[in-house]
Amino acid sequence: MRYGSSGLHTGDKTVDLRAVPETTPVCACCREPAVMYQAVSGRYLCRTHLIRDVEERVRATIEESGQIHPGDRIAVGLSGGKDSTALLVILSRLLPKWPGASLVAITVDEGIAGYRADTIRAAETLTKRLGVEHHFVSFRDLVGDDLDTILVGRAEQACTICGILRKKALADAARNAGATSIATGHNLDDEAQSVLMNALRGDLPRLLRDTGTGRSAEFLPRIKPLSGIMEKEIAAYLFVQDFFLVLPECPYTKYALRAEVRTMLSEYESCHPGTMQHLIESKKTIQSYCAGTPVMEPLHHCKECGDPCSGNLCQVCRLRHSLGK
Amino acid sequence: MKVILPDQTVRVMEKPPGTVGALLHEIGITPLEVIVSRDGKLVPEQATIGKDDEIRIIRIAHGG
Repeated sequence: MRYGSSGLHTGDKTVDLRAVPETTPVCACCREPAVMYQAVSGRYLCRTHLIRDVEERVRATIEESGQIHPGDRIAVGLSGGKDSTALLVILSRLLPKWPGASLVAITVDEGIAGYRADTIRAAETLTKRLGVEHHFVSFRDLVGDDLDTILVGRAEQACTICGILRKKALADAARNAGATSIATGHNLDDEAQSVLMNALRGDLPRLLRDTGTGRSAEFLPRIKPLSGIMEKEIAAYLFVQDFFLVLPECPYTKYALRAEVRTMLSEYESCHPGTMQHLIESKKTIQSYCAGTPVMEPLHHCKECGDPCSGNLCQVCRLRHSLGK
Repeated sequence: MKVILPDQTVRVMEKPPGTVGALLHEIGITPLEVIVSRDGKLVPEQATIGKDDEIRIIRIAHGG
């Protein structure tokens, strides 16, 4: 016998409902045992319909915003973590919808001891399994040091520094691989967190920035096909297909404002389903009100490396200077 | 009931708390930050727990 959770008061007697038959909710589509509850839609989904639902919503995101076109060569940022793993799995399945389109996976090795080696192994295993071309690039190649060395005495800047270098490493590797766009595994939680973080920082230009279309021909368009899928859905999607691996979390995560925002938003979303989606919708509303308003600084070129940037020096060259490189 | 926590420690509970969601609440874990399997199969928080079940709580690692 298995047990239910609640008690029921009837008059002056309390009937214990703990002794009820085992229950696993069933799928709203087929009545098979559910593996997931989607609080926003109010639906339970089984393994088959969860996979179908996630892939269909990713396809819709891609098509609604014209993220992929026939003949595209898409560089997928593949860390080997869950989001990029799901992204590569889903894109490899959807790709036949765009004739001539191809994938190339790019893994950036930041040089983080006790963390990155596991995910790189996972990334290699995945690309072999899917038959996807795979390129590697490292911070050591880019600036001569690994992230752990760069961060000595400045660990609290970890995510800022890593973000700048990772973006550059990925963009360079994508261009070298002949890519026409870069796909990243940002999910709905990431996007909602970014909206809130930018609001908390008062950073309107960043809030309004849309990297999907490419700010100019000098930037490869960056696409986020998973931006409508919740992080938990991604984990469940991988788990039910034996793609989910328990991997370490980046040791520098604790220094990020994002970590605090993530915890807060997860609790809000659990109590008030739809909170994250509402944040993203609010961003879109602000974007529509600001359409045509010049909020970005004009584009210049870095006087040292020639990369497009907003000032005289790009962020990477500024970082090189601060590192004495 | 055996509960395998995200840090791999194992807790044996004589009295199942009812549902997976109730278990997470009891041990102070936000449901959105984990997925949970019952006897190796993924289940939603509303699934019930029996006294002979093995529950594994898997933390979803963030970032990439």
